[in-house]
Parts: sequence; C-alpha cells; structure tokens
Amino acid sequence: MSESTVFAQKDLEHVFYPKSVAVLGTNRVVGTVPYDIFANILKDSFQGIVYPVSPKERSVAGVRAYKYILDIPDPVDLAILVFPSTVCNLALEQCGQKGVKSAIIISAGFREIGPAGIKREEEIKAIAQKYNISFIGPNCLGVINTDPLSRLNASFARKMPQEGSIAFLSQSGALCTAVLDYAQAKHIGFSKFVSFGNKANINEIDLMRYLKNDPKTKVILVYLEEITDGAGLMNVAREIIRETGKPILILKSGRTREGAAAAASHTGSLAGSDEVCDAAFRQAGIIRCTTIEEMFNAAIALAYQPVPQGKRVAIITNAGGPGVLATDAAIAQRLELAKFSEQTTEVFKKSLPATANIKNPVDVIGDARADRYKVALGSALTDPGVDGVFVILTPQSMTDIENIAQEVCTTIGKYDKPGYASFMGEKDVAVGINILQQRSIPHYILPESMCKAYASALFFKEHRDQVDEPQAEFVGVNKPAAADVIRSAMGAGRSYLPEEESNVVLKAFGLPTLPSALARSKDEAMKMAGDIGFPVVLKIVSDDIIHKFDVKGVVLDVRSAEAAGEAYESILRNVAAAKPDAKIKGVFIQKMVMRGEEVILGVKRDPSFGAVIMFGLGGLFVEVFKDVSFRVAPVGPRAAGEMIREIRAYSMLAGARGKKPRDIKAVEECIQRLSLLALELPEIKELDINPLIVSDEGAGCYVADARIML
Amino acid sequence: MDKAEIKSRVEKVTAQVLKVDPKEITPTANFAFDLGADSMQSIELIAAFEEEFNISMDEQKAREVQTVEGAVEFIAGYLK
Repeated sequence: MSESTVFAQKDLEHVFYPKSVAVLGTNRVVGTVPYDIFANILKDSFQGIVYPVSPKERSVAGVRAYKYILDIPDPVDLAILVFPSTVCNLALEQCGQKGVKSAIIISAGFREIGPAGIKREEEIKAIAQKYNISFIGPNCLGVINTDPLSRLNASFARKMPQEGSIAFLSQSGALCTAVLDYAQAKHIGFSKFVSFGNKANINEIDLMRYLKNDPKTKVILVYLEEITDGAGLMNVAREIIRETGKPILILKSGRTREGAAAAASHTGSLAGSDEVCDAAFRQAGIIRCTTIEEMFNAAIALAYQPVPQGKRVAIITNAGGPGVLATDAAIAQRLELAKFSEQTTEVFKKSLPATANIKNPVDVIGDARADRYKVALGSALTDPGVDGVFVILTPQSMTDIENIAQEVCTTIGKYDKPGYASFMGEKDVAVGINILQQRSIPHYILPESMCKAYASALFFKEHRDQVDEPQAEFVGVNKPAAADVIRSAMGAGRSYLPEEESNVVLKAFGLPTLPSALARSKDEAMKMAGDIGFPVVLKIVSDDIIHKFDVKGVVLDVRSAEAAGEAYESILRNVAAAKPDAKIKGVFIQKMVMRGEEVILGVKRDPSFGAVIMFGLGGLFVEVFKDVSFRVAPVGPRAAGEMIREIRAYSMLAGARGKKPRDIKAVEECIQRLSLLALELPEIKELDINPLIVSDEGAGCYVADARIML
Repeated sequence: MDKAEIKSRVEKVTAQVLKVDPKEITPTANFAFDLGADSMQSIELIAAFEEEFNISMDEQKAREVQTVEGAVEFIAGYLK
C-alpha cells in the first residue's frame, strides 16, 4: 500500500470542515503572517470556533489567547502552525498530546532551505506519524474552503475568493495569490483552494482523492513543480475521471531536458521527463496546460458548460474577419465546422437579412442586435448536427453590447450543449464581458483561446468515455529464458547486452527477431550464412564495441557463402586495426530484410512514471526531428495504434506518395509485446530496437538491431 | 563571570527584549515557543546579549540556541 493510500484513508475532512481551529504562534502584529492568518479566519466568517495560541499575548484581535494548545479546554479539530520552523516540532508534539489529527504547517524553513531544513522536516514527519496527524505543508500559503458550511480562510491570501465549483491545488504558495487575484477579476469562484507547499505529508494525490468525493467541486486544477509518484497520479486521475466525471487540469512547470542528457540510448535521450509527463497525462486523461491562462480558459469551459459531445461547432459572428479567424483556430484544434440542417438553414433565411451569411460561420452582420443573435444561436443549438456554439461579437457603432450579452447568456442557458463567447476588444465590450462572466458563460478575448478551450473539453470527454486498457497477454512468452540472459550478464558485472543476447530476450517475448547465428571461424560463417539463407548481414560481437559501424564491424547484403567468408575476415581485420584491444566473441550473422520502412522502438525507465515505451520513424526522423511518441506501460492495442498515428511522419507508414502501406498492425503488436517485456523485466533500464524494419501490409516486421542496458 | 551572574543578566535582557514577565523565563523556556520570540526579536535578542556581555557572537550559531539555559552556556563559552 502506498503512502498516499494510507493518508487518503485518514481524515482530510477536518482540514476543510473543522469545527474548531487553533492558530499556533499567532501574534498581534498586523501585516505579519502569524497575525493575518488568524485575522482572515475571523474576518471571513468561519463557521466554527477559532482559538489563538500565542506564547506571550493575552488576546489576539480581541479573542482570548492561550499560551499553549494544551491549555484550550475544548477539543481542537485543526491546528494551524505559524511558529518559526525551529519550534514547529514542539508545537506539533503538543498538538499530538492534545489529540489533534489535522494540521496545516504554514511556516517556511524546511526542506526548501537545505540540510538543516530537511532535518526539521523529517522531525515533524516523525511526530505526525507518532500521533497519526495528517498535515498540509510545510512552507505553504494555507487552505481556503468557500463552502458556506465552513467558510474557512486559513491562509494569508489577501482576500477570500467567491464560492465556485473549481478546486485549485498548488505546490507554489506565491502563485496562489496571483491566481486568486486573476480569478477575482474574472468572477471565477473556487470550491477549495489549497497551497500544499513541501507536501511532506498530504500530497496532491491525497487531495485529489478527497476532491473526488467533494460535492462542491466540479473541476480540479493542480499546479505542480515536481511529480514524486507519477504512477499514483495517473491512477487517481483515471479513478476521478471515470468514476465521477470531474476533469483534471494540471500545469506542470520545469520543462527541462537536463535529465535526458546523460542517457545511454536513443530512447533515453529522447524521453526527457517532460515528454514522458506529456504522454502520461494524455494517457490518464489529464488536461496538461502550459500557462495559467490556458488552464483557466479550459476550467471555466468545463465548470460552466456541458461537456461537448463532438467536434462539430457553429460560429455565430457579427463580423466576417473574426469569423474567419475563429474558423482557422477551430480547424487548427481539429474541430469541424458543423453543416446546418435544412430546417436550420430555412430559419436563417427567414430571420436574417439577405446580406447575412447563413452558412457556417454565420455572419449576422454588423448591425445585429440581440434578437438576431437569439435566433441564430437558438437555431444552431437546436440543430442535431451541431455539438457546440461559439458566439463572436465586435463592438460596432450599432452593437447593443449589453443586451446581446444578456441574450447570449439566456439562450445558451436553455440548451444542454456548450456555448462559449468571444466579445473581441477590451474597453467597449467590458460591460458585456462582465455580464457573461457573472452569468457563467465562458468568455475569451481571442477566438483562438475559445477554440483551444473547447478542444480541451472535448479531449476530456473522449478520455472520460474510454475504457481502460489492460496490458495484453500473449501466449508463448518465455520469461525465464529472458531472465536467464539478464541474470547471467548481471552476474558477470555487465550492464549492457550485445545484440545476440538482446535478441534472445526479445525473442522470448515474441518480438520478431531474424534468423541468426554466432560464427567463430570463417568456415562457420560460410556454413551458417548458407543455412540462414541469403542475403545476410555480418556484425562484430564484442563487449568492448557498442557502435559497430564506427569500427567497420558490419558488412551488409552478403549474397553467397564465399562473400560471407570474405566479410568475416574483413570485419576481423577492420576491428583489429580500429580497436586492437577489443575482446572478440565472434561474428553475428543475421538474415537481412531488403525492403521496408525503418522504425525505432524503445523502453526507458522513468523515475516517476516507471516503464515508458517509445515509437518513432528511424533515421533522420528520430535524429533530427525527434518525431517520436511515448506511452507509459502498460500499452494496450488502442494506445499502441495512437502512438503510431500521432507521429508527424505517420503517412510514411500509411502509404505516402504511391507507396504501399506498411504492416502497422505488426508494429502495434510489437509495441504491446515490448510493453509486457518492460513490465516483466524491471532490470532493463533502457532498450532500443533500431531499426525495426516494417514490411508491406500483412508481411510483418523484423528486429534488425537491438541493444539493452541493464 | 560566574554562571549565576550570566543567567541573571540573560533573564533580564530576555525580559526587556521580548517584553515578557520575568517569572515566565525558566531555564528550559524556549525563546520562540514559550516566550513568543519572532524572527526579528531573535536577532534583537542576539544583539542585546552582545551588548550586555560586550562580546561578538557567531550569529549563525547563536540563532541555533533555543532555550534560556542554552543561551547561558553559549555566552559562557565566549567569556572564558
């Protein structure tokens, strides 16, 4: 059982709905964190009892203070620690003695400051464990619950946000204050607002699991700087999305490639933490956002409007240019312009001026007033061929912005399809935007942001409705044979499996290796090549040589026994010249596949998400364009197909420029088998199959070269 | 200077800087947890001790001292 699961079983209810709260370490100095936290709880009408605990004050903000929490005569549900970090251990110890089970440690000066802070953090973790205390923090802004049943503002944010259905969890406290300010200006409310700081005890997974069952929360937003349990995060996200239909949006900062630089394989160097994170989020149905604005753009779409059922959108505009912009943006987001039914077209013909464009995007013309928007919007939302509507307004001299905004809100509110708006401009349209925001119609200054938000909502819908794919089982997998090779290599102190050993491992998991043999003499090479069947390829085998081409240790397209003998000798000559000290095991002879597209498959073990599978087109596409896709194992048939289709050069496999399509099904199976291998053989750190040669449709694919790092 | 005198002067300075009742200042009293010293007052306390005893303390180490008796020992180390 993971640490997260243990804490999820603990009572987080008292963090959000305490009946009594003690603020430990508060004082009377207005404008300091210890005072402001206490004052915020009082000011924002907390529904329970609040006790100041202050070593030397008799009262704080007119409320009688206690020297120690142990002096409070009644039970305390939640302790908020604002003491200096050096004495938080003493305060938490007393909380334990008092029987407090939930705490928020606001104080900074822990893990984030280095060794002394790490020691302090370990100390408070041990105390929490001793007394079974769940705590948020340390080093955080605090917790806000806008639910009228609680109205707890246990934070040093300047203002309590308005009530809403969006929960926001953040690893950064400072970002929280900026988000609150941003959201207030846009009339965005929150259900719960949590800064979890160093997440020494309660982490984002625990909080997400709590929010899953929080009736006040419809959408969960998370800001993360580090992911410590990627697999746990994916699991909880899937659980929430499938079971409760609550969307999860994560802004993950720290898009660094540094971690990938030291990797030993192609897969290792291409699968940086950020790429893996992208893939993992997509697999789990998490909407990954790159900016705060993008996050809230999608969040309001999901919180305010029904989830779109499809990608067919209608655009209603009072100006041609913005309609075209919106069309471009919609197409860029892989949405489609809806085709209106005859009935809708008839209504448009009757109700709109002759100069209006009644095809999508519908231009209701610059002099349109609320009535025209009402007809166009209502008809589009009624049309069964329309999944969602974008309303665009530009402020022209005859545009009645206020009335149109009211009408847009009323009309959209009558239907169970999503409607978003873009009142373009700033000053003149402000009155309309204000109405839209107050009446919870998602509004975007730019049509591009509107389309992106719709696409995010659609992504959520598609993943919510998907069934989880388990790892496919394959008959005839011989795990012991693969494990033997690995054990023996590790026993010999090797961390690298040469091609012939890699082939044994791959073959044991049913990957299509080519017929091959290891020759130790010229005569053997000639005979084995004949037995395998021409053409063949000959490659040097030595633990001291990883890059065989660099030492001229490979001869391709050998078509006779005599040629095989000559190739054998030339390889040994070349290697002796290039690397005289290399210990030679022999020459590997392998069937050569003449035709096919070269692709690369790989495995990397990510410290947070576990086994990651990579797919890409070989050669330049990998080296230069980094045109690869990733999935966290297990990879089922649907995900394997998606991996292949999502690379930019997919058409090369599907049959571009008159070429026959390649055997994509065979590659899908290889990806799934590789996923099984990665899960079953955790000793494998990195693996490259480069290339896998993919023949024409129905003719299979073959592992032409492979290497495994242990 | 003997320990008793150091203790008495430490208690006097602590009461003045933190504005606490001298009765609260027991040997095991923690400056922050029991006597309510915030981070600014901790620095003021170090400065006041330096002035009182005419010594110059290692600030980093001084800030690690948490209790009244700890402060007496720490200051005594400078007066040897």
